[in-house]
Amino acid sequence: MHTPNVTFHERVDKALRDQILHTALDRATGRFQTMRLSALASLEDADAVRDRARLIRAHTLSRLDAYLEQFATNVEKAGGHVHFAADASALNEIVNEIARKHDVKTVVKGKSMISEEAELNRALESNDIRVVETDLGEYIIQLAGETPSHIVGPAIHKTKEQIGELLHEKISIPYTDDPAQMTAAARAKLRREFLEADMGISGVNFGIAETGTICLVENEGNGRLTTTAPRVHVALMGIERIVPNLDDLSVMLQVLARSATGQKITVYTNLITGPRRNGEGDGPDELHIILLDNGRSRVLGTEVAEILYCIRCGACLNACPVYREIGGHAYGSVYTGPVGAVLTPALGGIAAWNDLPQASSLCGACREVCPVRIDIPRMLLVERDQATRAGKMAWWLRLGLHLYSFTVTRPALFHAATTFSRWGSRLAAAPTNGWIKRLPPPLIGWTRSRDFPAFAKKSFREQFEASHKK
Amino acid sequence: MRDDREQVLSQIRASLKTAHLPTARATVPPRVSAGQGERAAMLENFRRELELLGGLSFLAQSDEEAIEIVLKLLRDVGGKELLSWEDSEMPVRGLGDALQASGYTRQKVKLAKDAAERKNKLMTLERATVGITGALAGLADTGSLALLSSAARPRLASLLPPTHIALLQTSRLFPNMASFFAAYPDITREASNLAFVAGPSRTADIELVLQRGVHGPKFVHVVLCDW
Repeated sequence: MHTPNVTFHERVDKALRDQILHTALDRATGRFQTMRLSALASLEDADAVRDRARLIRAHTLSRLDAYLEQFATNVEKAGGHVHFAADASALNEIVNEIARKHDVKTVVKGKSMISEEAELNRALESNDIRVVETDLGEYIIQLAGETPSHIVGPAIHKTKEQIGELLHEKISIPYTDDPAQMTAAARAKLRREFLEADMGISGVNFGIAETGTICLVENEGNGRLTTTAPRVHVALMGIERIVPNLDDLSVMLQVLARSATGQKITVYTNLITGPRRNGEGDGPDELHIILLDNGRSRVLGTEVAEILYCIRCGACLNACPVYREIGGHAYGSVYTGPVGAVLTPALGGIAAWNDLPQASSLCGACREVCPVRIDIPRMLLVERDQATRAGKMAWWLRLGLHLYSFTVTRPALFHAATTFSRWGSRLAAAPTNGWIKRLPPPLIGWTRSRDFPAFAKKSFREQFEASHKK
Repeated sequence: MRDDREQVLSQIRASLKTAHLPTARATVPPRVSAGQGERAAMLENFRRELELLGGLSFLAQSDEEAIEIVLKLLRDVGGKELLSWEDSEMPVRGLGDALQASGYTRQKVKLAKDAAERKNKLMTLERATVGITGALAGLADTGSLALLSSAARPRLASLLPPTHIALLQTSRLFPNMASFFAAYPDITREASNLAFVAGPSRTADIELVLQRGVHGPKFVHVVLCDW
């Protein structure tokens, strides 16, 4: 995975200062959460369904090799082609070769995180192939030259005013901040692209092993058009995205849309089994399914394998107090929020992404909302441990912890230190109602965005001793 | 073409020896049967859910009534070009003749293998203002239609025109997707495409403000054939 060239702290600082970003994030994540809650309430015995969804994910991964082989065999039986790509460059190479074979000049794309992960657009464009994103959010992001900031709502970091200006500038429509007019303009612009494209590229939500079917869910109809109008359909999926059979699929679909957008089900649930068959008037003549590994098979053997249960609903992003402050781009990776904080270092290596597991207060909100109950906080701790072992702790933190352990293991020194801190802090906070507005360096960072309370008049030890004397 | 199948599968096998997969079991226990729904209740549910999604439903008690509803809807939309499934695939007898008598023309959805021909054909199909289809089933809990593709049942009829009229027999209602799959366990072997459609296409990609009618139909009307 491509690592950004500014540090995590610089990206976070920038995000925290961005007032427009906060407006956009507040509007979006808050609503996502309310809608999720009411959708889950509409599910009879939601907890049992979530338990079952988790069982299905865990079971499937424990036999992933067998299920993948079964899936591939059944896709081929239905007339589709299956390609395994060990890494991003293999995937890009395969897609480019299919495009070359069919003399492809224009590609329409449905939403695919795998494509973002592999940076496929750039690989196609370097071969002079035009790539058009067709999901409205992705289209906006593509026009802006940005990356998605949210798994489900790629453009939720933008306000409608910003999008209005962008469309005015890039596709020359009169400025408007009315979402209805903007949507209509994008529809008109993209309709022709669908009809003229040589190839459609989509993501995959689930591959069904028993039938060789791929399932794509979406709301706009761009996914159905991408997989119906062009001659060739290329579907990109992660190797972990398998479910054993159709009944299991129906369970996953019960929790996916509810957790993602608060819908009972998406408008379109598209089940594709091979290319069009004899006599069919529409649908692609060729179907290629590309299974991307890119580190997943290695992660499967580690303590963070549980992150592969993820079904990409985005609920943990909306629930996360850190994501809601800094947005998706600060993570510097295509996978953002709590799931990204675990998955990105797992796939891309802890050495390059050691900051991401720190982007959490371990409050556990992510685990609570996860439809398959992934224990994200546990894995954040595993990766923090890995980062420390890899020597990735900042020198000042290391020094501070050494000083701390030196002090607390020496009672006399500890007592002296607490007495000093207590009177020092009370003195400093006296003019400001018991709150310190500004700590001296090196602790200055703490008070930049919040106040620090003065120490209590009596220490715990003094209180404890006093109460036991009675 | 490059294929890393063996490399990927052998790494998976090696990893599975040490994998830490909480709650993984050898099998997933079977579910208690999804059960049969009662038709009147399913019908009511289906209509309520569809309307919540912004779709409309109409109840017809006979072929004649259904045809009358369809013709009325077509007049309201305007335009004379339609896409549709073949008459044999729709549950209303006499619909094809009625459409013809009222001056509607139906383009045959038949895309060529050749790139240029295919694009030209798509451009002409795009002119249609309404698509008329049957439906294999309706799912009551979500107000969804199940549409199965075939030579006589083109996918574009429910996708390309701004208005989609679906004719659904009320005897084909199921409580939910699980009970539908239980009744049609081999459904994906029968056709290359099975689409569940829940109301008009929509997006909320701009500040989560709901917009109906993006790339798929803006209007979905379901004529419930209850006889």
